[in-house]
Amino acid sequence: MKKSLLLSAAIAVLGAAAPAETLRIPHELGYGGSESMDPISPQRFYEAIQNVYSRLVRQGDDGRPSADLALSWEATPDAREWTFNLRPDVTFHNANAFTAEDVAFSLMRTQSEAIDSPTKGVMEVIDRVEVIDPLTVKVVLKQSHADFPLLVMDYRIRMLDAETCGNDLDALCESGVGTGPFQMVDFDPLGTTTFTRFDNYYGGTVGTENLELIAIADQDARVAALQAGQIDFIYALSAEQVPLFANNPNFTVQSVPTGRWVGLVMNTQIEPLNDPRVRKAIRMSADRDALGKLVYGKDGYITSCDHPVWSGDQYRAEIDCPRDIEGAKALLAEAGYADGLTVELFVSDISEGAVKMAEVLQNQAKDAGITIELVPAPADGYWGDVWMKEPFFATGWSQRPADQILNEAYRSSATWNETAWTSPDFDAKLDAARSELDFDKRKALYGELQKELWENGGSFIPVHLNTVRAFSAKLSGVQPVEDFSIRYEGIAKSGSDS
Amino acid sequence: MLALIQNVAARPSGAIGLTLTLCHVLMAVLAPWLAPYDPTMQNADAILLAPSSTHWMGTDTLGRDVFSRVIYGGRLAIAVTFAAAVVATLWGGFAGIFFGTVGGRVDEYAMRIVDAFLSVPWLLFLLLIISIGGAGPVTIIPTLGFFYGVAVLRVVRGAAMQVAARDFITAAKARGEKLWPIITREMFPNLSDILLVEGAMRWSWMLLAFSSLSFLGFGATPPTPDWGLMVAQERGLLSTAPWGVFWPCLALSSLIIGINLLADAVGKALGLDRATAIAV
Repeated sequence: MKKSLLLSAAIAVLGAAAPAETLRIPHELGYGGSESMDPISPQRFYEAIQNVYSRLVRQGDDGRPSADLALSWEATPDAREWTFNLRPDVTFHNANAFTAEDVAFSLMRTQSEAIDSPTKGVMEVIDRVEVIDPLTVKVVLKQSHADFPLLVMDYRIRMLDAETCGNDLDALCESGVGTGPFQMVDFDPLGTTTFTRFDNYYGGTVGTENLELIAIADQDARVAALQAGQIDFIYALSAEQVPLFANNPNFTVQSVPTGRWVGLVMNTQIEPLNDPRVRKAIRMSADRDALGKLVYGKDGYITSCDHPVWSGDQYRAEIDCPRDIEGAKALLAEAGYADGLTVELFVSDISEGAVKMAEVLQNQAKDAGITIELVPAPADGYWGDVWMKEPFFATGWSQRPADQILNEAYRSSATWNETAWTSPDFDAKLDAARSELDFDKRKALYGELQKELWENGGSFIPVHLNTVRAFSAKLSGVQPVEDFSIRYEGIAKSGSDS
Repeated sequence: MLALIQNVAARPSGAIGLTLTLCHVLMAVLAPWLAPYDPTMQNADAILLAPSSTHWMGTDTLGRDVFSRVIYGGRLAIAVTFAAAVVATLWGGFAGIFFGTVGGRVDEYAMRIVDAFLSVPWLLFLLLIISIGGAGPVTIIPTLGFFYGVAVLRVVRGAAMQVAARDFITAAKARGEKLWPIITREMFPNLSDILLVEGAMRWSWMLLAFSSLSFLGFGATPPTPDWGLMVAQERGLLSTAPWGVFWPCLALSSLIIGINLLADAVGKALGLDRATAIAV
């Protein structure tokens, strides 16, 4: 009896001493503490929402849509009606059952004028959502869309509990109640936001007991935190930071080709950048290959000609954009800047290489008589205070399918139309492309849109990045996929944090 | 003046300080002739090269020659902070002499205001002003000059009170001399040595402040070669490419040490004890 008591006590002590595995991930504090748990809010806290809420459709290993809360889907021949068959026996963190009503609510609220979500421009193709039965939902579109599942694969189109959100389509819903692998314990975007594993997660056992999202605004500080063992994972390593981890057995480095880009944005409505000749002259002055090598290292990028569609996308257009200093000078002279042009560029350490990219372009553009004055801005709060507020500024986008990025960033009515690009013809062509059922014709239309952006647009996208991440060797199960497709629930952690 | 320089140079600390300061000033002035490369020239094939016979101090993350950037790196900092030190010494010195001479309630009230300014965390205040007014020399020089001038005022006012109590000032007042002639003819000549030493000391501190501002992104802007900015840009690579941080730090600290030693030696040559900053 005494022995069994001692044994029980020993087991209890050992059990209490065993640390619960906590996956600790930094977040950039890009909204300065205004991060929102509503997935479609402009200030969405995406590191949190991707772990709390689930999507209908998620990106598979091959980049194609794969099952998540919807197990299967089919379309009518004209691709105007899409029926999704939902996963049964799924519950929200508050034990409410997940049903087709929640899908209808979650999809229709993306079009709310009151919320004015960045997803509105992309999702306004939806006319209505019909609930067929608790596990079947039909989405009726205003026009045909051959790639509609790609749209609902968006990292923000998450399924919310309609009841918890009060069934109010026009209000933000920041409950943090989803069907995802982690449920929120404490929301503190300026400090540490904590989560615990959701035991009824439909996707099986979650790899770690807890998840912490720790606010660290500065990339160098994040690197130092990983080296010191204060966090387990960092995204977006620069080429110079890779050697800090590459040959260290305590860390794993993963490099993945993606459609992610860091770029510079010219507001097409503000002088002197409202003149397409000026914008093109700036773009023509760049030696993209040299820029890529200087900023991201020789293996860290694939050059682009300011088209936001990456090389792994089926709709990527082939455009040639060699450096042309004489051509740039001629365009400037034509625009009335024969003696040169001076513009201010607002930059911050918001994404890997943003400041260095600005410095390199500054150096290259001066050969064309363009003086770019860099204006440093603080990283924390950048997305609220500088981005889309200044005429010329740095930006960063994660990988998106062609239709989504073209609609989200370049449609006249898009909330995140960062170049203020306003073109009814472009919008009409966007509609025509997504409605076109013939693949070759659709590809040709998407190609024309990208060429239009190269000729007249306001984006400077010199390269698409290989995203490089480093993480503790204690982690296993980190899939080599782009950042928004990482399945944190599949990551396990061995050993304690000391 | 020549005698003062000879006196300073005769002291070991003065000789070291004078040499370091002169070297830096000459390096800044002669940078276009001394630097082997254009300090802003980027080279994709020469990123983060270790020190070698081609690049004596190595190269940075954009393939720029660190030696050339270190040589150029003091130009803006020295020019801006020297101008700011002159501003601080002039206004702080004049105000200190004025309040030390006038005394009474005016002095009391003024000193409470000075105390209030001295209690302000100056770096935060500086960042606030620069974020409103911009990061150029037009904003930084008067801002640094004002904040460091407050401390000059405090020190000079203390010394001025002692001078004001001397017999020749009492005699001047008895002769019916006005305040302005007393300040300019009697007080200033007797406090010029303190002003000189204070100016030099504040200059060295301003160098550190300016580099801090550049480090934080509020001083020099890219691609300007500047020590503080160089440290900020390369600080993440301390364990793999320390030369990007080490050389600008060495340049900055050697200049600050040089100016401090020089100021110390000048003070001693003029018969001042820097611990109390009054004539001994």
